[in-house]
Amino acid sequence: MDFRDKVVLITGASRGIGAAIAKAFAAEGASVAVNYLRNVDAADDVVSECRKTGGDASAFQADVTGANDVDVLIDSVLETFGKIDILVNNAFSPYAFDPENRKMFCDLDWADYQSQIDGALRSTHGMCKAVLPAMRGQAQGTIINMATDLVARPSVPYHDYTTAKAALIGFSRNLAAELGPIGIRVNCVAPGIVYPTDGTRDTKEDVKDMIISQTPLKRLARPEDVAGPVLFLASPWSGFMTGQVLYVDGGLVMT
Amino acid sequence: MIERAGYLPGVAANDIAWQTLRFGGNENPIEIAVPELSDHQMQSMAATVRTASRKLKARPTQQIVESIDRTVARLLDRSEPIRQKAEDLLPRVTGYDAEMVRLGLTGYLKTFRKPELQKFLAEDFANPMMLDDFQPMPKGGLARAFGPDILAHIWAGNVPGLPIWSLVSGLLVKAGNIGKVPSAEPLFAGWFAQLLAKTEPEIADCLAVVWWQGGDTAREAALLREADVVLAYGGNDALAAIRGRVPITTRYLPYGHKVSFGMVSKSALNSRKVTATAHQAAYDVVRYDQQGCYSPHVFFVQRGGKISPKEFCQYVAHELAAFEKKYPRRSLSVSEAGAIAAWRHQEEIKSFGEGGRQILSDATGAWSVVYSEDSEDLAPSGLNRTIKIVAVDELADVAPRIAPYRKFLQTVGISAPPDELYALGALLGQEGITRISALGHMTAPEAGWHHDGRFNLLDLITITEIEGSAEKAADAFARYAD
Repeated sequence: MDFRDKVVLITGASRGIGAAIAKAFAAEGASVAVNYLRNVDAADDVVSECRKTGGDASAFQADVTGANDVDVLIDSVLETFGKIDILVNNAFSPYAFDPENRKMFCDLDWADYQSQIDGALRSTHGMCKAVLPAMRGQAQGTIINMATDLVARPSVPYHDYTTAKAALIGFSRNLAAELGPIGIRVNCVAPGIVYPTDGTRDTKEDVKDMIISQTPLKRLARPEDVAGPVLFLASPWSGFMTGQVLYVDGGLVMT
Repeated sequence: MIERAGYLPGVAANDIAWQTLRFGGNENPIEIAVPELSDHQMQSMAATVRTASRKLKARPTQQIVESIDRTVARLLDRSEPIRQKAEDLLPRVTGYDAEMVRLGLTGYLKTFRKPELQKFLAEDFANPMMLDDFQPMPKGGLARAFGPDILAHIWAGNVPGLPIWSLVSGLLVKAGNIGKVPSAEPLFAGWFAQLLAKTEPEIADCLAVVWWQGGDTAREAALLREADVVLAYGGNDALAAIRGRVPITTRYLPYGHKVSFGMVSKSALNSRKVTATAHQAAYDVVRYDQQGCYSPHVFFVQRGGKISPKEFCQYVAHELAAFEKKYPRRSLSVSEAGAIAAWRHQEEIKSFGEGGRQILSDATGAWSVVYSEDSEDLAPSGLNRTIKIVAVDELADVAPRIAPYRKFLQTVGISAPPDELYALGALLGQEGITRISALGHMTAPEAGWHHDGRFNLLDLITITEIEGSAEKAADAFARYAD
């Protein structure tokens, strides 16, 4: 797919899935805005790898859970690249995916939920709101929000994390319904466990084996596996799809 | 393949000189043979039509209505070979999307079924029986309407089927008809005539369809000499030139190019209604690529609704994008593409000096929407799916903005609540607008509409009156006189 002349902004793109998505877009010729929170070195690495593959890229520091930061982020990207065609909301609050030591429901406070809701939903809400004037101005645009297959199948009940992502899917569908008539598409990509990422680096082998044993494609997703469906949803190949959730988990969840 | 255009009663086909017109480009080539009549052939054909027209005058109007109805029913029947030919060839000749042509034909032909034809008659005649016989007049005496022996039609443009409008009007007033088809769409009028002749052999000679190369004034003169009434469509220059050639004793009814536009009240711009409003607006733009006199060039959109005029543009833009997939725009000639480029260029230059202006368009240029924050006057678009949306505080403020185009105004498509609709109707009528339709219906006038504010049938006829004095005087000479 040719993404030359397209500008894509990816939140939380200094590492893991976000970095893989950034590199994949760059390899197809896109101009990539790499958003990061703290790790400037990692972000710079992603930028230089993007440039090596042929795309243009720049790093933009911003806390996407803060309204002010979000506005500054969008303005800076527009100033650098002139427009935003594709927004990938990938950032989320740090979360330890540890099935053995996860918090049980009774251990969880509302603050835990709130933290995840802020990380997944509030940040996406703020980003979408801020990017819309630019997308409206060209009467087209694509928004892709990163969810999780745990919403459909809570293999491990990470209550706070999964609830926030479930809300994100509902949010995305409503936005898709409202923005469809002006040519802006909103979809979700819902990966299963992706290894290796910072969130899953410590996941135990037996857990991975358990999931692999139930996965028809018999392995875990790698960050690059997630990039493909994201690029597809950003491309004209999916031009008649909106409000959808694409599961990227080797067939663990089938809908 | 070669398709023969025209319908020529009273002229032997072997004696006719045929010219070939080529359409469809290299991908889908099609050749149309069009007849070029000599003066002598035109005369003899006119004599045939005139004789048939005299016979037609003895036929009750209801029978003519039924003859047209049966012919139109066949054209609506998708198993009818001529209908199938129309669905195949008209998109190739005109370049319009095949689905748009098919649906357009059905929608259009439906307005010529029997009940609709009766509406035509009822619109213009308080008592349509006056086309059949003398009828009493309120002032006293009797009157009868006579259609011309020969009504000449000079058609223009490429919107499929348009000639049927005036042909049917001519038949309803029992005129003999000779129509000249434009080179851009030379087929449909001839097919209608052929099918009428096949369906109703008794009135087969009442209409003829001819062709000549635009600007061939010698052939045009041969028809003008024969005509009692001349109906002509086209640009004002062409119409003025024809006026100069029509004998002073011949009635001349010119229909020039027109400009139409739309108006959207803030009441039509809430979060639920906006999608339908935008769909209707875009449909009026897409249908026949703004080639009709009733096609919109500008939408004036009121501020203050839940959805702003600027946001409305985005909805219209997306609808145009969706229509481009459903009914793709026909491929444009170099000059048409040039007209769009010039229009866009002009709008882009204006946008440098004006922050509120926005241009939305498809990457391939298949459609464009220009938004203007400043109240602008009505102005023609670049045609072929280019539209301007102008924000206004009050729709009533538009009236002075259309004044410069008074002589060219025709249709306004309106989305507004009843009180606004009627108030605007009064204002717009004063400014020269002759037709107000719903948005989404701009390109489909209802049966019996008053084209450019005129009477379709009344303009064609003459009235013969037997005054009360003649009636009374006649009584004195009756056998039964006391």
